Amino acid sequence: MNIPHETGNETYAQRIRRHFMADSFARNGLRVIIALFIVAALAPFLANSHAIVRVADGRVTFPIFPSLEPIEWRFLLYVPMAALVYFLRAGFLRRPKFHFLFLIALIALIEVVLAVTHPVNDPTNDRNRAASFKLMPPIPYSPIESTPDQFSPPSWKHPCGTDSTGRDIAARLLHGARTSLSIGFVAQSIALLVGVTLGGLAGYYRGWLDIGVCRFIEIMDCFPPLLLILVAISLFESQNNMFYIMAVIGLTSWTGLARLVRGEFLRLSSQPFPQAAQALGASDFRVIVRHLLPNALGPILVSATFGVASAILIESSLSFLGFGMQAPTPSWGDVLSDARRYIDFAWWLAFFPGLAILMTIMSYNFVGEGLRDAVDPRLKVK
Amino acid sequence: MTTYLIRRILLLFPTLLGITLLTFLLIRLSPGNAALLRGGGGESGGRAMTAEVREQMIRLYGLDKPPLVAYADWVGRSVRLDLGNSIVDHRSVAAKIGERLPLTMSLAGSALLISYLVAIPLGVAAALKRGQVVDRTISFVVFVLYSIPSFAAALLLILLVAGGDYLNLLPMYGANSINAPEMGPLAWLWDRVLHMILPVICLTYASLASISRYARVSMLEALGQDFVRTARAKGLPERLVIFRHALRNALIPIITIFALELPVVIGGAVIIESIFSLPGMGQLMFQSLDAKDEPVIMGITVLAAVMTLLSYLAADILYVVVDPRITYE
Repeated sequence: MNIPHETGNETYAQRIRRHFMADSFARNGLRVIIALFIVAALAPFLANSHAIVRVADGRVTFPIFPSLEPIEWRFLLYVPMAALVYFLRAGFLRRPKFHFLFLIALIALIEVVLAVTHPVNDPTNDRNRAASFKLMPPIPYSPIESTPDQFSPPSWKHPCGTDSTGRDIAARLLHGARTSLSIGFVAQSIALLVGVTLGGLAGYYRGWLDIGVCRFIEIMDCFPPLLLILVAISLFESQNNMFYIMAVIGLTSWTGLARLVRGEFLRLSSQPFPQAAQALGASDFRVIVRHLLPNALGPILVSATFGVASAILIESSLSFLGFGMQAPTPSWGDVLSDARRYIDFAWWLAFFPGLAILMTIMSYNFVGEGLRDAVDPRLKVK
Repeated sequence: MTTYLIRRILLLFPTLLGITLLTFLLIRLSPGNAALLRGGGGESGGRAMTAEVREQMIRLYGLDKPPLVAYADWVGRSVRLDLGNSIVDHRSVAAKIGERLPLTMSLAGSALLISYLVAIPLGVAAALKRGQVVDRTISFVVFVLYSIPSFAAALLLILLVAGGDYLNLLPMYGANSINAPEMGPLAWLWDRVLHMILPVICLTYASLASISRYARVSMLEALGQDFVRTARAKGLPERLVIFRHALRNALIPIITIFALELPVVIGGAVIIESIFSLPGMGQLMFQSLDAKDEPVIMGITVLAAVMTLLSYLAADILYVVVDPRITYE
């Protein structure tokens, strides 16, 4: 691997970026994730039973827009946010930590506000409606729409086939990308919030607080993976909306981050610089947020990236087991769980969602590995 | 060491209390209870129950008591090793778990054993050919394996080799064929093995990936040590340097991972059992979660937590046993 040499004075963020981009797996993983987010953002325009433009009786209409649900606007909001990031990037490089945290908070806010809505099955479609001109999305089916073509294998009409009620798998996967990506992102943000707060307080104040937090971490860690989540989700089944699932996954997967932050804070707070800050009269809050946290940010980011991958995996396992999102909402695990009953012949029901999950998790893992090597080249296993 | 052990074992109890309290409160704070689920009939499939019988049942299982009082009752019974009876069929929780445990444990045990047998040679080979094509191929394949969700792999394996339209080599569901009770012991065992091949493969490959990564790192570390250089300098053949000096030291951290991987594999077994319809702990847990069978859920949680805690403890003790340089003083 050729890492371009350092040129002049570069910031920490620039150095991480240089090392990260030199790793081809990490670079391509990041590209796949960005592509997935774009696909997720544009899903209603890629797979929808409503025409994008329809000209009939001399009138031009855009049937796709009235059909959008609030949940579908969510990802569209990411586009202005991406623009915002682009224009603020100079500020980003100068003080990466605060803009980054602000960004996460903003995305999490959008998600949480819009997560509780469910898609509504809208039976109208523009495929067969007469028009002098119409432009349909590339996949002219909505993810929750049943068609008479049941169990159609992959074909030009249905690139990934259809399921037992004739729903188009490609449309379900495109829309399911939103479920998986946003659950991964928000669940991990919740875990980040809890883990950094508890771990940070334990590492900074030590003493009884530390002992209490450590015991709590130990208790949470002793649940075998999935057990606590399954208990929490299956017992409150009536409340299985997206936000509840995000919260349960987030609230059960913060322990690794808390351990990490605690360790970093224990190490950092015995170094001279936080003591100097304290001697200058800085408050505890200021020392934690302005001096300790920025120095621990690298490992936190690495761990959070792997955390997103595992949150996505947990979500798809839950949907697969039938404990995840409620029926009409498309999700990758849900398509896979449909595949269970018809596995003796309908290979496309298992193959395509499996591939989607594999690709996403692998990309996040590659990005995580790349970040880890970039944040701390000493850790690198050559 | 003895003081350390005693302290560790004493610390197990507060942790165990915390885990069970958390589970108990989750069950109690969720809407509905087992008696209502059974009495309601309809969807949950139970027979309709008269109000009188339901009242009796609620009192019998202490479902009307405040959560903390009921929890204290449960702890009082559990320390006398009485986990109570299932609300659904009134059989003892210990017996219900006991008949399912062997299957899950044999599944998890064989999966772990096989992952070790495959992962260590892979990791060692990658470390010896560090940076070469072999290393990069192994690392990449292992990384891909690590990212495949086990349930997707299970479905595709069933489709390809078990009863699908393609190859029909292995049985699809269950722990035994229907006519298993009439088989002789050897035929029965063979039948069981055939049924276990796919579930074990699905459980194996994920832990195989993480163990082989550990093995590679730990072997690389060992190869960089002074004693390996000394062994080479005194003219030992490379085979002896690698197997007698480097590998033996590299195995120390890998052995202790056994204890940390065990809970992960048992957790994974829950999903795999549900796909292959195996009557193990996972299935029992889903059934009891569906019926809100409080005593059984608590029993499974306790068992899982005790196993996890003991395997962490075992990992720490193993460290000392296999590496005399480490002491807990």
